[in-house]
Amino acid sequence: MSHMDSFDYKPELNIRDGKPFDMPTFFGQAGNLYASPWKFQQRGQSGLYVSDLLPHLATQADKLTVIRSMVAKSANHMPAVAQMNTGFILSGFPAMGAWVTYALGTENQNLPAFVVLPDHRNYPWGGTLQWSNGFLPAAVQGTAFKSTGDPVPDLTSPSDQTRARQWVGAMNRTYAEQHPGESDLDARVRSYELAAQMQLSVPDAVNLDGESEDTKRRYGFDQTETSHMARRCVLARRLIERGVRFVQVYHGASGADWDAHGDLLGNHGKMAREYDQPVAALLNDLAERGLLKDTLVMGVTEFGRTPVAQGAGKKGRDHHPNCFTCWLAGAGVKPGIAYGASDDLGHQPAESPVTIYDFHATALHLLGLNHEKLTYYHNGIRRRLTDVHGHVVQGILA
Amino acid sequence: MSHWFLFALSTGLLAADISVDAPALLARRCGGCHNAKAKTAGLDLSNRETARSRGFDRILRRVQLGQMPPDGALSADEQQLLAKWIDAGAPWKTEKWWSLQALRHTPGTIDAFVNAKLRESGLAMSPPADPRTLIRRVTFDLTGLPPAPEEVEAFVNDKSPAAYESLVGRLLASPRYGERWARHWLDVVRFTESEGFERDEPREHAWPYRDYVIRSFNQDKPYIDFAREQIAGDLIHPGSRDAVIATGLLVFGPTDAVGLTSAVEREREAVREDQLEEMAGVVSQTFLGMTVNCARCHDHKFDPIPQRDYYRFKAALSGVWQPFADPASTELFPDGRVLDPSYDAKVTALRTRIRDVESRIAALHRQTRDWSAPKPIAQWTFEVDAHDQLGGLHANTTSKTEFRDGHLIGPASLITAPIAASVTAKTLEAWITVQKPLEKEINVFQIYNRSGYRGAASDGIQYAGGTNKQWRNLSTASFRTNDVGGAKESANAGERIHLAIAYDANGTITLYRNGTKYGEPYRPNNGANGLTQTYAAGDAVLKFNASADLSIDEARLYNTALTENQIASSYAAGPAPAQKPVPGAHFDERLTLHKELESLPAPDKAFAASPRDPGITRLLLRGDVNRKSDPVAPAGLSALPNSDFHLPADAPDEMRRRKLAEWIANADNPLFSRVIVNRIWAHHFGGGIVENPNDFGANGGSPSHPELLDSLAVELIQSRWSLKSLHRRIVLSAAYRQSSTFNKEAASKDSSNRLLWRYTPRRLEGEAVRDSMLAVSGKLNDKPGGPSFRPFKVTKPGGSYVKYEPLDGDDANFQRRSIYRMNVNTGGDPMLESLDCPVPAVKTPKRPTTTTPLQALSLMNNPLPVRLAKAFAERVAAETTSVDTQIDRAFALALGRSPKDHEREASRMLIKDQNLEALCWGLFNASEFLQLE
Repeated sequence: MSHMDSFDYKPELNIRDGKPFDMPTFFGQAGNLYASPWKFQQRGQSGLYVSDLLPHLATQADKLTVIRSMVAKSANHMPAVAQMNTGFILSGFPAMGAWVTYALGTENQNLPAFVVLPDHRNYPWGGTLQWSNGFLPAAVQGTAFKSTGDPVPDLTSPSDQTRARQWVGAMNRTYAEQHPGESDLDARVRSYELAAQMQLSVPDAVNLDGESEDTKRRYGFDQTETSHMARRCVLARRLIERGVRFVQVYHGASGADWDAHGDLLGNHGKMAREYDQPVAALLNDLAERGLLKDTLVMGVTEFGRTPVAQGAGKKGRDHHPNCFTCWLAGAGVKPGIAYGASDDLGHQPAESPVTIYDFHATALHLLGLNHEKLTYYHNGIRRRLTDVHGHVVQGILA
Repeated sequence: MSHWFLFALSTGLLAADISVDAPALLARRCGGCHNAKAKTAGLDLSNRETARSRGFDRILRRVQLGQMPPDGALSADEQQLLAKWIDAGAPWKTEKWWSLQALRHTPGTIDAFVNAKLRESGLAMSPPADPRTLIRRVTFDLTGLPPAPEEVEAFVNDKSPAAYESLVGRLLASPRYGERWARHWLDVVRFTESEGFERDEPREHAWPYRDYVIRSFNQDKPYIDFAREQIAGDLIHPGSRDAVIATGLLVFGPTDAVGLTSAVEREREAVREDQLEEMAGVVSQTFLGMTVNCARCHDHKFDPIPQRDYYRFKAALSGVWQPFADPASTELFPDGRVLDPSYDAKVTALRTRIRDVESRIAALHRQTRDWSAPKPIAQWTFEVDAHDQLGGLHANTTSKTEFRDGHLIGPASLITAPIAASVTAKTLEAWITVQKPLEKEINVFQIYNRSGYRGAASDGIQYAGGTNKQWRNLSTASFRTNDVGGAKESANAGERIHLAIAYDANGTITLYRNGTKYGEPYRPNNGANGLTQTYAAGDAVLKFNASADLSIDEARLYNTALTENQIASSYAAGPAPAQKPVPGAHFDERLTLHKELESLPAPDKAFAASPRDPGITRLLLRGDVNRKSDPVAPAGLSALPNSDFHLPADAPDEMRRRKLAEWIANADNPLFSRVIVNRIWAHHFGGGIVENPNDFGANGGSPSHPELLDSLAVELIQSRWSLKSLHRRIVLSAAYRQSSTFNKEAASKDSSNRLLWRYTPRRLEGEAVRDSMLAVSGKLNDKPGGPSFRPFKVTKPGGSYVKYEPLDGDDANFQRRSIYRMNVNTGGDPMLESLDCPVPAVKTPKRPTTTTPLQALSLMNNPLPVRLAKAFAERVAAETTSVDTQIDRAFALALGRSPKDHEREASRMLIKDQNLEALCWGLFNASEFLQLE
């Protein structure tokens, strides 16, 4: 998502609109500076700037903690998404949700502990690698709920297995009794019981029929553009309510994302219309239900966009990892503030740069975890989500 | 943590030796200042004598107060270690870390070593496993499949003392052995059949490596040869297919196709550097158990690997590139190495003959002309061929290339030979004829450098299709592309258009159409990328594209930027006039040769190391490609013997890799034999003598049985590196043959069974579970080798990247052993993944074992076990006559034993209430079916 079109107000960009500015860009087609086509306003009690691109989220400004000096490592979608998810631009590392699940386990054994709700159009760049357990045990892998059919792989039994399962239960209990000291044999007996419970719990969690008309309207079930994201956001809330530890909601997918190379107005306009209302409704809903105080919501993107247009006379923006915006809301963060700042054009951080390592360190801290202590030994290294970097951003802690 | 997360994590409990660890800690954390040379504050901590001069207690106090070291206090564990060590009188072993020392041969059998350690702890081995358990154990262990009921009964009833030995011999001779053990190896070398990252394109020619590994294990190829081939086989055995295929190990890491073709050089360099780090990691971890890659940014934190060693090691691999199928220029980045050495020769011979015919045609057809304007350096008239009328820049044609009435007819895409002298200022000129009103974007005539990446350089005449309808300069990543504001093209069918682009040395680009300026000249405002591109001698080529919309009538290349007047007069003079006809026989001959060339069968290829000039490797400060330091020569790790390769910094790839292979795979290299012995041991026993098979450094800990490890290593060397001999020695030992029965007392002393007081029971790997289901149900298709089966739907949803969606089916191909399933990054099978099969791109020397509800769901409901339970029931029904014999047969097939009375009764009830299929399904879900005892 473009920072200078959403949360990072850059009046200087308006003044210097159309003027040349020399900067290297991913596709090497730097055009001239390009003012945001959206107007900015100060919002709520906090006076936080949010542009007209996101009118609904703007109403939630007092709940947001905006970091305007984010720095990522890659200008390339897949590695950049991978860095946001796993801390590394190479694939094969555990996702943040896997780390958190590894550290904290789950509160509801009848549902997967780490659930991913991919965009209805597609998976993100890199697909399932984005919620991989990497070298952590498979149990902490993210489970991507599908929007059609079984939400969880192999959830539905093709036929009535009641009797056969009784037989298996008896066999496996006896086997475990005959082999004392093998804790995984007891775990298997238990895993079959949990699987049976999951078969009931998952369909119940994903069934949105019981949501009130008012809720559905607020999230945007009734409009084509918002309906998909609305369903994912409501589902996210239902999963959080049921004790799922880590829920990751995607908006945008590879080939259908906020990748406004040629047409910022059209691309961000459409994406924002899909995203804005459901996300605002989610924040509001979490707050109204008293969940926001112990839920951390992170609004992230893999990188920002360039202050210059991509190509002479063009109206799009290229990838820009050097400076961008992310936001947080909920448990443990100071609401209604902006932390860090970009320079006059949103080109580089001007104060308090926050790397993705810092961001991860902070998020783990808010979940009660020390990013330097949450390690897993793999091939010679005690691996961390934050590699060998990262400092908790004290300035945003409540 | 919730109680169903039961991970087999055994990373703690290292048999630490404080007399080694504490001095190592001092060296690591304090040695930067307090060494023999710097002696900061007069203190040298590099040996015990000088270190004690100040008093160890004083050092400890300053450490505990956090005053030292200044760059961050020691952790509580480290402080505790120091305190404990000083308490013990500060014993100081100056010797090298155990794994770096030479092998020490202590004669003795496996059982003697194991028993000695057990006795030290007051333990003893368990009694031998019963024959029924033993045959199941050893058959799964060596072949990954269950023994057939008949084999079980025969073995149980064979009372001869040689029965077990002959069973082992039979299993090691089975081709199934290679399939089983290759899978272990593929885990370590992260064998991956898709490129990963953004596009994840399939690697169509990766599978020969998998077959090579299976073949090597089955043939009992000496491990030293196996290793050397995988590092430098193409150089050691030129002409050998297997030796080329083997080098796949080097290149199975992920391919960042987008990063590698980035327009920004810094980005490409960074991606390449990461690729080399990955490669150095796999080579050093696989063969040496050393994490050399940890020293890219700084000296290794735990092991004696200075940062310089990383760059020296990396330099030895710097000539290795991945095959890389770049869709933009497939002729430059093939998707694999051609394995038939005669293939290139055949192609070259045919191309030469075609060139001969074309030269004869050209001689008859050569046009002579007085060039009033500056003379081009090349001219193609396309009258009867794509010969350069002025020099040697001929383009290759095919049997489909058509020349008609002086036009190159589309569709055609021709590429010339490389230019002989470099060009900077230049003019590209072309006459085209509109065949129908222009619609699609087309690059009519372009020049580009082939080397490096797609991002490197190109310029040319492009028609921008769609609504744009203008001519413009085509340039890589649009570096030098601008909308010049020329008129929209409106030529009608049949009209001829003259086009030219002049590239001035000062960067100005001017377009012309029909002799007059087209739009505004411009100088690209794009930093270094906006300067006039130089096209290199021997590298740059020209490319022509004709389409259904347009034909090309003539093209010319000049090494100057023509002026407006010169362009106008060239336009006025027009293209070359037609020449007299050439005898048709020449064209027939050309066509025949073209057809012969095109009918050559596609060559076998392998996804293997693709060597290029490595250039000079420089140390990078903090591992950052933007901070290059001094050059380093290729070499091994300085902590090991003979590490100097005596090579210059600019040595060719061939010398580098050959030396590396000989240095790594060498009896004098103590790590090389120890590491493989430990890997094999770990798979047989469910745990290594060294716990972390990829890390023999300080973090990996000390061996549980050092003498045994060395003894096995020495015997491996003495057996001429025969892995089968090693297997035999291990599985014939009493340690391997003992029962897995739990023993509370022993467990209280050694809960992880490192000392081997029993055989460690464990769950089968995902592949073995799947293969067993296939075998038991009679569905297993044991076809060996060949292309992988692909149980997924492959789509390209966004057009640019590949999506793999798993599916199941009764197709015979899908019933092959799991090792033949295509190992793509994102098409993992939910059941195999739930059973801990790793993501292929992750180097996995040791798999964790988890037990989760998702695993239970897969085993219950995944289409494969459901389908195979049905087949299992059908098989049993066909082979038996009564319910009781059905139950017997089903138990025998799945569990290798008869049902007990209560099991028989419960099974009868189940069949009565439901059916035989339910029982078969139940057996697939039985812990005993999944367990190796």
